[in-house]
Amino acid sequence: MLFNSIDFALFFPIVFILYWFVANKNLSAQNLLLLVASFVFYGWWDTRFLLLLMFSTLLGYFTAIWIHDARSRRWKVFWFWISIVANVGFLGVFKYFNFFAESFQSMLQAFGIKSDLWTLEIILPIGISFYTFHGLSYVIDVYKGQIKPERKVVEYGVFVSFFPLLVAGPIERATHLLPQIQRRREFSYSSAVDGMRQILWGLFKKVVVADGAAEYANLIFNNSDDYSGTTLLMGAVFFSFQIYCDFSGYSDIALGTARLFGIELIRNFAFPYFSRDIAEFWRRWHISLSSWFRDYLYIPLGGSKGGAWMRVRNTFAIFIVSGFWHGANWTFIVWGALNAIYFLPLLLTKRNRVNLETVAQGRHLPSIRELYAMVSTFGLVMLGWIFFRANDLGHALAYVRGIFTRDLFSSPQLPASSTVTLCFMFFMLVVEWFGRERKHALENFGVRQPAFMRWAFYGFLTACVIVFSGKEQEFIYFQF
Amino acid sequence: MNRFIKRGLLFTLVFFCIDKLFIPVRNAAPGLEVDRRLEWIVTGKMDADLVILGSSRGARCLIAEQITQSTGTPSMNFSYPGSNVEFHEFLLRQITENKGNTVPKTVVLVVDDSDELTPSVSLKFRLDRLYPLVKYRAIRDEMVKRGEKIPVVNELLILHQINKSNLWLHQKKFTKNDVIMPCGSMPIPHQKNTFDKQFGSKDHTYQRGSELSEKLEAFKQIVARCRDHKIQLIVVIPPNFKEVTHGFRDRLVELVGDAGSVWMYDESRPEYRDREFFFDHAHLRTSGAKIFTEEFIQHFKTTKVGN
Repeated sequence: MLFNSIDFALFFPIVFILYWFVANKNLSAQNLLLLVASFVFYGWWDTRFLLLLMFSTLLGYFTAIWIHDARSRRWKVFWFWISIVANVGFLGVFKYFNFFAESFQSMLQAFGIKSDLWTLEIILPIGISFYTFHGLSYVIDVYKGQIKPERKVVEYGVFVSFFPLLVAGPIERATHLLPQIQRRREFSYSSAVDGMRQILWGLFKKVVVADGAAEYANLIFNNSDDYSGTTLLMGAVFFSFQIYCDFSGYSDIALGTARLFGIELIRNFAFPYFSRDIAEFWRRWHISLSSWFRDYLYIPLGGSKGGAWMRVRNTFAIFIVSGFWHGANWTFIVWGALNAIYFLPLLLTKRNRVNLETVAQGRHLPSIRELYAMVSTFGLVMLGWIFFRANDLGHALAYVRGIFTRDLFSSPQLPASSTVTLCFMFFMLVVEWFGRERKHALENFGVRQPAFMRWAFYGFLTACVIVFSGKEQEFIYFQF
Repeated sequence: MNRFIKRGLLFTLVFFCIDKLFIPVRNAAPGLEVDRRLEWIVTGKMDADLVILGSSRGARCLIAEQITQSTGTPSMNFSYPGSNVEFHEFLLRQITENKGNTVPKTVVLVVDDSDELTPSVSLKFRLDRLYPLVKYRAIRDEMVKRGEKIPVVNELLILHQINKSNLWLHQKKFTKNDVIMPCGSMPIPHQKNTFDKQFGSKDHTYQRGSELSEKLEAFKQIVARCRDHKIQLIVVIPPNFKEVTHGFRDRLVELVGDAGSVWMYDESRPEYRDREFFFDHAHLRTSGAKIFTEEFIQHFKTTKVGN
């Protein structure tokens, strides 16, 4: 079930009313309702996926208890590795098996060896990377003794499969989400209204900006041989906005939806396109994944404590694994490696934590220097997105070469209708710029303005969403 | 909680009322279009005995006015550049189902060698031609049928019926390549700058395995509809500046069966190998279109219903 579908528009109010009017007296009933709703939400795609989700949930639930209750360290380690291998094994089979088989086959062919390796005819279950990482972090935290295992299977089930975050995150931590599931939730008017604002802004970003930009990004990327350098550059700009508005839009809807159920999820985006360097970008982009890799990969590998070589190795490891997490394709690995190359100079010169505060804090406009830093960082990020979006490495390289041709300074060949999308992209940037010091762009929006002005603005956003909605467009990150 | 629900309902009610202010915007859109052909069909004003359906090849290569003058059969070209066979099926369905339209005696379906039934990036269902006409129920129903609009919301909200293009309230204009004649044909007098003028030879085999089921179904629907309405169907393969795919022609013959006929240009004519008669590899320019239309007229005269 997609957030931007009529199914969800009917599903959500039903669950909301049952949650606050029927099950509100009993925490267990509320949690059971959330679990059932989450399974319905997920099973809407394909009921076969539910078996996988249930197995993953039970695996994490039982292994965590067995790790905690183990009588010897040997058993503790044993159950820990069972859980890790099973979780990673799931990902390996469903997401990466064919990639490794095909890559191995290509390698053999390069050496002149004919092979006929088999690949699997399987579909990738939606959100598998997200809920697998949920389970992994929980088991690792239990193993390290940072948390105690959850004994109530329903509560643990809600932690893994809570529907707003199930298919595209944010990747929650047990230390943050489980306590909220375990305690009674009270309805808060201000939090619910703010949640609605966040949902509305997320829908606007997804339906109006991301899907609008996708139309032109797809057109240009799919016919990249036919376009001039400027048009290819515009294609990369469109895709940069598409992926940001698609994913951050989803996160806004997820966070807003969770708040309507009295649950605060961790922030996933903090206006990353206003970053002044790559290090700041990665502190603001897909925060829940970046912090996951930091805590469960980078720090265990030694983090920044070792010598220069160790820092280089760990940086490459985290970025390449991050790229590989996105998908089984060399384009994602190169995208990860490219970002590692961007990041390393900052790390090695110890300038990776220079820009910690929000840009132009307390001011309406950035300085020229800040503007230059933001635009150049966006340029680097955009170059990376070309690899992320391209069909294969050859396509990506040809696309980049195509940009730097002599007609880079010609006017782009864009359909006239793209002007509307460009205007909405600019509008989105302006709203996010003025909301950049808040948790989300519309937090406490217009509280000093008369109510009718706020309502007019909400009405405008709603109208845009309704005009642009129709054919359900999946979120990009569902495939990961 | 009550306050939250009351405010939500009040916002919904106000929004619902304001939404109705967009009725004039929706209704103004058809009048701003320069190409009114689809509106004629939807409103039952189509009056021709011979109808040409197709993509840009149909629009550029057959001149309906020339057919009318030469045969005395009132002809109209309803070909839309960039449209696919699903769109052509939609047009024929509207022509035959909307009251007021003359059910044509002959349908000329100009096909794309060999993208007619296989995936193509350049041919699609021309939704952009439907959006200006959403004030008409038949168009709204088609949008819902194709999954472009959500059924219930489409009934309740005007804003959901329209598209961003409806908000540009200015008279539409044609580009240099899209000058439309009163008969609906769109011949081009000049040549494309990037036309490399090398006659292309090609593999004559046709991959049936790559046919799209939805395109195939639409083609079969056209054949069936013509049979049901006793319409003479002529499937036409126009000249490209390259050799025809014989396997594709054979496939069409198989699909049409005895419900119609498949006709293609005379490959031996020197004009179809002369680059001067072409706009690009896939389209004739006006001079070539006149020759091809004349050749079609001679064929049509021999097969015309009633002969």
